[in-house]
Amino acid sequence: MMEGKTGMSEGESTNRRRGFLKALGLAGGAAVAASTPAAAFNVNGELGDVKPAKETPEQRVAARYRETDHVKAFYRTNRY
Amino acid sequence: MARMKFLCDSDRCIECNACVTACKNEHEVPWGINRRRVITLNDGKPGERSISMACMHCTDAPCQAVCPVNCFYTTADAIVLHDKDLCIGCGYCFYACPFGAPQYPRVGNFGGRGKMDKCTYCAGGPQADNTEAEYAQYGANRIAEGKLPLCAEMCSTKALLAGDGDIIASIYKERVQVRGYGAGAWGWRTAYRETVGV
Repeated sequence: MMEGKTGMSEGESTNRRRGFLKALGLAGGAAVAASTPAAAFNVNGELGDVKPAKETPEQRVAARYRETDHVKAFYRTNRY
Repeated sequence: MARMKFLCDSDRCIECNACVTACKNEHEVPWGINRRRVITLNDGKPGERSISMACMHCTDAPCQAVCPVNCFYTTADAIVLHDKDLCIGCGYCFYACPFGAPQYPRVGNFGGRGKMDKCTYCAGGPQADNTEAEYAQYGANRIAEGKLPLCAEMCSTKALLAGDGDIIASIYKERVQVRGYGAGAWGWRTAYRETVGV
């Protein structure tokens, strides 16, 4: 068996690298699954199995905009 | 009360299409539907100019005026939204819109086009905020999260501005004063019936 600079055999080194890449791939997949909303956008406006949650006429037109720190940062950086 | 507006500084737009990509990614908008697009005038000629274009959320919106089923409504922030459960896909809004904003999932005649889709100013629609139902029908609701439309937030040259109309107008005025020239706030006179004095 050939030994590299780390003292590991070539086979061990390959296995470690593959294990690391596998773990990285699985972690990435889990992160994507966690960040993706459960319901996918449907351009036809069909809800399928998703439960509708209609707002009242008053809620529909209520103001949603808030000047949060996030929004203030947008305004500030656009002045540069 | 803040009045939401879009402003495209065409002197800064480099036609990179990041706004288009950001919009499609944020809302998972499928192929064939472009809520936002970049239009280039005089392409390849001196004086070429690009403009990022979507629903401008007009004052007294023409789409709202012609809709036979009253599916449009304007929020207190002046964002023009629509109810896909009411839309019959007649296409009147498309003909009325001066910006070509309404989009349809299919090519077809009256009613056969499917439900109209357009820019929501990242404010969702008439389903409860940030629910699965809202995402499924209208996409993400960033306004309810205390953010602004992603197209504007992603713009690398800061050509596309979104937010409180008074604030973005003041930002644009500052830019014009510093540069010494400005092509004007494109579409504002049509959408907001205002004269921009810069």
